[in-house]
Amino acid sequence: MNGQPDPAGSGMSSRFDTFSPPPPEPDPWETAAEGGTDDDEADELDPRDAAALLAQTTQQAERQFDEQPAFVLFVAGLTVLIAYGAVWFSVRHQHPYVGPTGTALGVLYGVLAVWIVFVVTVLRRRLSGRSSPRRQLEGIVFASVWICVYVYQGALYHTDHDHAIAYGVWPAVAPLLVVGAAAAGYEAARGKRGNAAFAVAVVALAACGAFAGPAGVWGVMSVGLCSLCLLAGAARYRQRRA
Amino acid sequence: MTVQDLDPLIHVPARLRIVATLAALPEDDTLSFTRLQELIGLTPGNLITHLRKLEEARYIETNKTVDGAGARTSVAITTRGRTALEDYTATLRELLGEL
Repeated sequence: MNGQPDPAGSGMSSRFDTFSPPPPEPDPWETAAEGGTDDDEADELDPRDAAALLAQTTQQAERQFDEQPAFVLFVAGLTVLIAYGAVWFSVRHQHPYVGPTGTALGVLYGVLAVWIVFVVTVLRRRLSGRSSPRRQLEGIVFASVWICVYVYQGALYHTDHDHAIAYGVWPAVAPLLVVGAAAAGYEAARGKRGNAAFAVAVVALAACGAFAGPAGVWGVMSVGLCSLCLLAGAARYRQRRA
Repeated sequence: MTVQDLDPLIHVPARLRIVATLAALPEDDTLSFTRLQELIGLTPGNLITHLRKLEEARYIETNKTVDGAGARTSVAITTRGRTALEDYTATLRELLGEL
């Protein structure tokens, strides 16, 4: 192909063979020789030192494994403020309501896309080396529920529903009502009171926000969700520092 | 209550850190051997020795999977291991209260 001899005789130089899978990485468990622990065993561990080591290790591990660190919630607050705020800005003087402009939708989806990339990057680092069949199932269930909310929005449009509902109240409120309710039940079942309370607060905000009408709801959700995220972030920060 | 009442299997710095790290994971979660080693900072050989001792006591369980990227050993704490750590912590608290 490139004029160089192919030692493998496959007709393609191995230098340019990008199709073969990389050689499997050796598992340290298999390749490492067992090491002695005599030095460690001989250590006289004072109960005070043991308590300090236990507390320090637990705190470090929890910080490493934390899937919802405070800074993620702070960024979430800023994201919803910009995303929902952009839509509210474009619809605030509409009478009758026709829906957000293309630019506002571009900002909404653009900011959400950046947010998703950010969360995936953070989670990838936090979940590195971890595996759980439960987490995969969670992801599939919540993504399916979220998609169904938007499918239903299509049905609303298809059945000639008012723009105020199909492009106003429903998209601003319904995803948070449905996914928030599912998350509240899930977190309560896991005994995560803080997360369950946050999800219930989001559901309550969405339910009350709908009263603001198709234009006002975007503004209410923008400020309300941002405040909730900042409060949750501050609570988590304090919890971690305690 | 004396230091001898503390579980000797956990009352070793390296194993205490291993058990405490694995207990910080949510239930059903497993941790790869490589990540555990990165967090604990022991040599692979040393870590394996400690893990084998904990595994013999059924405080942890290991699971090996093989896929296209190679073999991967994952480690998880068992219910027995969590209980042992809780008992260890309670004994430690009592001891420190007496000191």
